[in-house]
Amino acid sequence: MGKLMTVDDVSQSFPLKDGGHYIAIKDIDLEIHEGEFISLIGHSGCGKSTLLNLLAGLSQASSGGIVMDGRQVTDPGPERMVVFQNYSLLPWQTVRQNVAMAVNNVMHDLPAPARQERVDCTLAMVGLEAAKDKFPKELSGGMKQRVAIARALALQPRLLLLDEPFGALDALTRGNLQQQLMQICQNAGVTTVMVTHDVDEALLLSDRVVMMTNGPEAGIGQILQVPLPRPRQRLEVMEHPDYYGLRGELIGFLQQQRRLKQRRTSLATAPAPGAVNASRPFHRSATVVRLGVVPGLDVAPLAMAIDLKLFDDAVLQVVPVPFAHWQRLEEQLLNGSLHGAITAATAPLALTLGLSGQRPWSAVTPMTVSRNGNALCLGLPMLAQGVRTLGDLARWLNSQDQPLRIGVPQRRAIAEVLLRHWLASGGIDPERQVRFEALSPMAMHGALRTRQVDGFCAGRYRVAEIVQDGQGYVLATDLDIWSGHPEKSLTCSEAWAAAHPEILEALCSGLMRAAERCDDGGQREALTQVLSQPQWLGTRAAIALQRQFEFGAGTEPKALLRFNQFHADRACVPNPAEGAWLLSQFSRWGWCPFPSNRLEVLGQVYRPDLCAAALQRAGLASLRPTREAFALADGLVFDQDDPLGYLKSLPGSVQPPVAPVALPVAGAAAPHSPAHR
Amino acid sequence: MAVKLDSELATMASNPSATAEFLEFRNVGQVFQTRRGPFEALRTINLSVAQGEFLCVIGHSGCGKSTLLNMVSGFLQPSSGQVSLAGEPIGAPGPDRMVVFQNYSLLPWKTVWQNVAMAVQAARPELSEGDRQQVVEHHLEMVGLTEARHKKPAQISGGMRQRVAIARALAVKPKVLVLDEPFGALDAITKEELQEELLTIWQEQKPTVLMITHDIDEALFLADRVVMMTNGPAATIGEIMTVPFERPRRYETIQNDPRYGQLRNQALDFLYRRHAHADS
Repeated sequence: MGKLMTVDDVSQSFPLKDGGHYIAIKDIDLEIHEGEFISLIGHSGCGKSTLLNLLAGLSQASSGGIVMDGRQVTDPGPERMVVFQNYSLLPWQTVRQNVAMAVNNVMHDLPAPARQERVDCTLAMVGLEAAKDKFPKELSGGMKQRVAIARALALQPRLLLLDEPFGALDALTRGNLQQQLMQICQNAGVTTVMVTHDVDEALLLSDRVVMMTNGPEAGIGQILQVPLPRPRQRLEVMEHPDYYGLRGELIGFLQQQRRLKQRRTSLATAPAPGAVNASRPFHRSATVVRLGVVPGLDVAPLAMAIDLKLFDDAVLQVVPVPFAHWQRLEEQLLNGSLHGAITAATAPLALTLGLSGQRPWSAVTPMTVSRNGNALCLGLPMLAQGVRTLGDLARWLNSQDQPLRIGVPQRRAIAEVLLRHWLASGGIDPERQVRFEALSPMAMHGALRTRQVDGFCAGRYRVAEIVQDGQGYVLATDLDIWSGHPEKSLTCSEAWAAAHPEILEALCSGLMRAAERCDDGGQREALTQVLSQPQWLGTRAAIALQRQFEFGAGTEPKALLRFNQFHADRACVPNPAEGAWLLSQFSRWGWCPFPSNRLEVLGQVYRPDLCAAALQRAGLASLRPTREAFALADGLVFDQDDPLGYLKSLPGSVQPPVAPVALPVAGAAAPHSPAHR
Repeated sequence: MAVKLDSELATMASNPSATAEFLEFRNVGQVFQTRRGPFEALRTINLSVAQGEFLCVIGHSGCGKSTLLNMVSGFLQPSSGQVSLAGEPIGAPGPDRMVVFQNYSLLPWKTVWQNVAMAVQAARPELSEGDRQQVVEHHLEMVGLTEARHKKPAQISGGMRQRVAIARALAVKPKVLVLDEPFGALDAITKEELQEELLTIWQEQKPTVLMITHDIDEALFLADRVVMMTNGPAATIGEIMTVPFERPRRYETIQNDPRYGQLRNQALDFLYRRHAHADS
């Protein structure tokens, strides 16, 4: 199927009376193929009709644009016809006159007999020959809507746009018209986009259903392919074995959006939990924000932001609270002693799901702090066994009875998730052939030297130390596993984020401005100096920021571009698609069932909207996550709309249980207000 | 107050006659005299509803659903046969059978609080002023309307108005709650919210519920059994479907239950194939 229309990064906002703007839809990307039938579905206020008007050319996007046949859509035209719910027929003209007027206006180059034939032929197509001399008031609602459709189709549009065409009709008339519309579109071969809120209607008619998230700033939440065979019959299609599975996807999506909407509404009106300002209502000075960190190279944006005074000091004063163990940091975050923390990129989801057995705690992440930056380092005895590649490791492990012992900074966190995936792609069973042990980053070096572990996964300077010491070598970096993966996230409770949007935005924008400098090669000296301060990395900073990456084992050092990434390529944008991949892995290893309400979970935890607002405050391009499918180094493509399909394509064809996950009540696990001075 | 409610429920539960055949239709028929001669609306309706059961009645327009409902509420006496509640034939309308209509029927010049309080006063005059206040308060809280209690119907949304109507009906402590397409006029989100709330309240108070709807998904989510009516004239019960989903129910969980599609298709088949309406 050829491409008919491209919707490219389209946003639409409307001015408000108070001088602000209401952003109805944001960053919509969609390709419409020739001959396709697409439905747009979502709750009221999700911007479906806004998008339809843009496709029709009835209004212009505030940013981005729409291209049809290589030309930008700038105004309405007969190649794109719209049919509205209220028919909009001229009451003083007959059925035939209503249709003929449109034809005469648009096809005036055609000789009169040819125009007449067009009108008659179209009326026959919608089965209205017998009623052609009647007036609209003599027709039933269903017939009126058929006239409106005939009027649109008589102009032979390339694209037919339907805005809830059957919304005003009763269930029975609706069913019959749906069937007829399907026949008409098929016969005319016209590409169609329809707005609806009826899931059965969408499934009956569509090739693809585009599900839209709640407004404001509505976007495409998920796209469902409808592979039901054609021709379709309304009642028979429901007996297809896939029907209720597909219907469940749509209903599930709408339910999740409904609960998200309820949740946001109730949080917005709830009294502020852990209210930072409430305890000191008479001061107008900046709020102290206690931010937990485990010192490593990932703290670079925080260190830079504090050193260069990039935080808006009228709003907040950031106090970093260092921890040696991730577990301790998370405990303090959960008991409310910290306002937020730089955590593993898995933590926002893991805490919300209660993945490590703790009480589920509703977390949000407004930004990703860093990407990449880890390596798998093995002890020298492994080199003696000839292990230089993943294949070598698999062969060696197959000859062993003992599992490989690997130290990771935290169990079930991003490093282990990546390693498991990579090892499995090389034919290793991480459940049986590998034992993961949680070690404090500081203890890694010693554990390898004393052979408590065979290797470990850690950040750049821990690895560099081992290699320089001649104790170990690098088997792989995370660039070999998933280049650009989220490594650290800014994490706080949903309740705190809702109660303090201004403080959170200022915190994020400061980190973002610093992140831009961290990625700038010209500022390397400055960065080294900042990180050399004792509260950060001290003397290790110089090693950590070496230009060349040492692999050990006799290989040449290489400069790894983007080994630590803070800003470039939408680095700071928390992307729910990446979260969907993490969920797929959590369930793959049996840590939790795959959430059937994944979009609700992701929509609550991942907050690209907060990220975009903070980017704007920082004076940076206000980026949103892309919806593109991505692949890790093993080449298997992950499509966020089909995570279960991805799991099936993995080695061993994984099919975890799928179950709804109950989301914790916001702020329930934060019994007391965080300490602050 | 809570204690009182519990004891009332306990009395109802310990009543030996209040068992399987709580609300009963025996050979019920209804013939209306019209200008064009007699019109037989209902024929040979036999149905037993257990106490605390949630029953949905579904059918095309003209299937006599409303006639059935009017007999339970006492607005209409059957032409033949008998409708009885707890062994007693149903006579005039009374507070033991409360009806909630689609159009709310609240008094527009009274506040939310007053609308509920008036019904309680009329139906339960024995309550002291303090007890009555507590009953009203409890029921408004149950439907989440405590904060809107001083508003008038015109100042609140359709969903909230229907919540008031439900609170008003339940505050009277009816034995049977009759719901006539109560959510038909609401948007999808509000409808689902109210369905969930209704189930919660029903689970708490366990009145017998008779609900008329044309929405199959609604019936499958709410009901213990779904009664499907044939088309009129002389409409009767065509089929009764038992809904086996465990309670408490969650919309998504039952949607993903393989039995859901089967039951839904069975109902669709009944309504649109075997008993398709003349219009279709």
